[in-house]
Amino acid sequence: MLPTFTYIKPTTLDQAVRELATPGARACSGGTDLLGCLRDRVFTAEKLVSLNGLTELRGVTELANGGLRIGALTTLTEVATHALIGAKYQVLAAAAAAAASPQLRNQGTIGGNICQRPRCWYYRGDFACARKGGDICFAKEGENQLHAIFGGDVCVMVHPSDTAPALMALDASVRLVGPRGTRTVPMGEFFVLPSKDHTRETVVEPGELVTELVLPPPPALAVSTYRKLRARGAWDFAITGAAVALGLRGKKIESARVVLSGVAPVPWRVEAAEKELVGHELSDALIERAAQRASANATPLSGNAYKVALVRGAVAEALSDLRDKG
Amino acid sequence: MREPNIYGSDTLEQEGTPEFAPAAADLPPWGKTTVVGAPVPRIDGHDRVGGTAVYTRDIALPGMLHAAIVHCPHAHAMVKRIDVTAAKAMPGVRAIITCDSPEAKIPWILTGQGAFSQLLDPHCRYEGEEVAAVAAETPLQAADAARAIVVEYEVLPMVVDYEAATKPDAPKLHPMGNQPSPTRTSQRGDVQAAFAKADAVVERTFRTPCEPHVPLEVHGSVAQWDSGKLEVWDSTQGVYAVRDSLAIAFKLPLSSVRVVSHYMGGGFGGKLELGKYTVIAAVLARHTGRAVKCATTREDTMRSLGNRPANTITVKAAARKDGSLVALDASLLGASGAYPTGATSGYLFLDLYTCANVRVVETSVLINAGQARAFRAPGYPQAAWALEQVIDELAAKLGMDPIELRLKNIPTVSQLRSGQPYTSTGLSACLKEGAEKFGWDSSRKRPAGKSHLKRGIGVAAGMWGSPGGPNATVILKLYADGSVNVNSGAADIGTGTKTIFAQVAAEELGVPVERVRIEYADTASTQYAPSSGGSQTILVNMPALRTAAAAVKAELLALAAEELKQDISKLSVRDGNIEIAGDTKKVPFSALRSLGQRQQLVGVGRRAPHPAGRVALPFAAHFAEVEVNTRTGAVRVVRYVAAQDSGRVMNALTFENQVLGGVTMGIGFGLTEQRVLDRQTGKLASGSWHDYKIPTAMDFPVDFQCLPIDPQDTECNSTGAKGLGEPATIPAAAAIANAVCHAIGARVYDAPITPASIVNALASKGRK
Repeated sequence: MLPTFTYIKPTTLDQAVRELATPGARACSGGTDLLGCLRDRVFTAEKLVSLNGLTELRGVTELANGGLRIGALTTLTEVATHALIGAKYQVLAAAAAAAASPQLRNQGTIGGNICQRPRCWYYRGDFACARKGGDICFAKEGENQLHAIFGGDVCVMVHPSDTAPALMALDASVRLVGPRGTRTVPMGEFFVLPSKDHTRETVVEPGELVTELVLPPPPALAVSTYRKLRARGAWDFAITGAAVALGLRGKKIESARVVLSGVAPVPWRVEAAEKELVGHELSDALIERAAQRASANATPLSGNAYKVALVRGAVAEALSDLRDKG
Repeated sequence: MREPNIYGSDTLEQEGTPEFAPAAADLPPWGKTTVVGAPVPRIDGHDRVGGTAVYTRDIALPGMLHAAIVHCPHAHAMVKRIDVTAAKAMPGVRAIITCDSPEAKIPWILTGQGAFSQLLDPHCRYEGEEVAAVAAETPLQAADAARAIVVEYEVLPMVVDYEAATKPDAPKLHPMGNQPSPTRTSQRGDVQAAFAKADAVVERTFRTPCEPHVPLEVHGSVAQWDSGKLEVWDSTQGVYAVRDSLAIAFKLPLSSVRVVSHYMGGGFGGKLELGKYTVIAAVLARHTGRAVKCATTREDTMRSLGNRPANTITVKAAARKDGSLVALDASLLGASGAYPTGATSGYLFLDLYTCANVRVVETSVLINAGQARAFRAPGYPQAAWALEQVIDELAAKLGMDPIELRLKNIPTVSQLRSGQPYTSTGLSACLKEGAEKFGWDSSRKRPAGKSHLKRGIGVAAGMWGSPGGPNATVILKLYADGSVNVNSGAADIGTGTKTIFAQVAAEELGVPVERVRIEYADTASTQYAPSSGGSQTILVNMPALRTAAAAVKAELLALAAEELKQDISKLSVRDGNIEIAGDTKKVPFSALRSLGQRQQLVGVGRRAPHPAGRVALPFAAHFAEVEVNTRTGAVRVVRYVAAQDSGRVMNALTFENQVLGGVTMGIGFGLTEQRVLDRQTGKLASGSWHDYKIPTAMDFPVDFQCLPIDPQDTECNSTGAKGLGEPATIPAAAAIANAVCHAIGARVYDAPITPASIVNALASKGRK
């Protein structure tokens, strides 16, 4: 059962920010994650501030510099099927298309997708876990087959978003509006590791709102892709995933981004793998080396050592896919 | 409350046939049929997909209250104190019962050893056990009040690992320990002697997970009292079974309990018995003098309302060089949950293949988790997972083709039933014709592939060991306008039973399907039928319907002969008309004055006994092709053939659909589904549909073929149908497991086969 809350639908950004600043208020657009959390009593809300009246936060616009602005309320379906995104930022289109199910993608927004709460079964279930203010992370000694092999600390949850690693691989940044004005945060600084603060996933402050994502223009010759590994064919979160974006000169890799999903409490960038790639052409041997690098230094828990192999597999699949396309 | 022992092989004895006067006699078997077997769309399809079908949860009676249940949040605890003061004062609250209330003592889990629990038991043995309930004016008020009830618990040591629960120092759920029933051994011949002389011996241990049923429609009831009589709407597979248990719970005569179950959104065995929510609704309704709805939640179906029990099965199998099986030795351990119920089935080891020396040792153990219930072929998919993989390993050891080895050992008699012959057995035909359709020989020889994508194919066989109960009554009424009413207590749990009733009536009585109305699953107004479970609904009820229809037809033809002044032998029925041989004139039933005067003709039908000295059972063989990605551990089922000997196909559409559903369930069992309990607290981790992974449409093979094998059985019953629901799922997961092994050259012994399983299997293969 949902808790009792009031519902308000502002028509201006100012009004929305004012409403969100009141205690107990939460932003709601697609509601695909929020309503589940409220219904399962993961947290509560006294006021839902609908963002759906803020039409300016919806849609994709090409920027003068060749980059792209994606409104936070753009649905995952729109992101997955947008022609410009599909042409210039394949990794993002692929990641949006791999998320959830068609119904959820029609309803869920890109802003909500990067701000979604953890899917750890202890966090979602009837457990007073550390992230909810309890004393312990149950997954550490418990059922941790789906949990983190990198970056775990007080909490070993994995970040559930598919689009966040893709956006990080594209060097995107997030625009935020709050009571104290606007600010822009690079994706690489948007997420918060549990070692820093295990009660929050992002730097978004109370009363702040994600309004848009800004993508820089891609390199002149760029290829990118997202490979998601999951337990079933649809409607599932990544067990492991790899978002890879390469800038090329001819066949030579000039820049590389490799960001993993499903293996760490934040989208997990593996610079060692990127370094391995830069300056070379994609070959079987290089793919193998980069995949090995990506999985190095993992610290698996009792039940998730297999994810180390899956990281290698996901990175190898993504790179092979790019080689075959190139 | 008293659960039928659906797991034990003590159900082997065919149910005794009650004697009715006049004695029931089945009609001669059909030859060619026109309506039966045709792809007739479901007569209620539009209602189901259009939203007009009224399910139990949709029932809204005047003045109806809503119940909410307080569940124990601990895996094992004792209620110390309950404070309802705050809840009582909340708006809309009309009644509260707790484990201190007199009704709390209604006995629960009745067994030969007495009652193991009570309706609201202060000793809570699993997370989700009921300790109190509220009735309020709205569902929200009830839920808020339930949350306001303060319960103090003493948390007790718990055990959720069923292998650990057998150890002497494990926490005990009941005073007699965690194994209320002794280990049971079934055997024939001498396995030890046979192993010593065999050419090939394989011994392996397999594990299968616990799976909740997750029916789309969650369990729930509406109850009200009318002059001391109880009326209940329930989402159930068996209105008569629920009626009987309610009569015991409330000490009422059977005639004072009415149970209705119309539209149902799935049961799979999880809705064969009376639920606590039903009794709680009835108790609260009696307290308030109002109707009460008690709808459960998705979490309840995951935690409390039944599951397929986890099994650990060790099998040792031996064969001679020529492939004949000489010994099977199986040891099965199953997790009953917090209350006793058989949690294993040794049937397949004892009867699927010809084998002179067999020993099956079965143990069921209690753990602090929701009680197991019947689940689509109770115990069989687990046993098939183990047996059918061991058979493949034996074949590999002997250098034989897996199908050849199976064909070498096909029985024509039931070894378990002292060698009685089957009325028909299509097991060989399922294997041979299925292999042909699948292209087994050429696919099996194809190399798995050099890249990281490995293809492999696998086969598994199965059978279902229950012939169903013979006792059912069906009444058919033909009205003056030529329309028909069929009256049966059978539930249509979503399989299309109503449609097949209409087809059989139409076939027998020569009326259009659209003119047949089905009145069903209401103990006050419809005739006795056993629960719709155990793959028995068609084969129990349809012969009775045929008999009823034949009686009406005979009466109709006699009236017509007299009225039309024709020899009765020249008359026949078709499309709602009387037809006269050698005459083009057709007389609509509605034009018969004699029918109009009578307003209705009534036929009562019962089913004849099972054929004496013969056993009628269904068989199956499934063939799967998988693609395994050795980089990612992903297993994709790409091609599938399901060959089913379930006798006659009653409806080509519902038949294929039933098999498609069974294979989907097998894919879940083999690849994705697994209840996960937190080992530290015993609480459910996989509590949502995100974490409990039923397969999606994307997990089902595009290339799927259902191959009915009809051995034209004229003995099993007057329809020639043998039951389909269970055998359609039994071999599925094992066929996939065998295909995975063929693809990657390493076997996964524990279900489900997840990416982790593939990674680990490849790693251990690498080490060898």
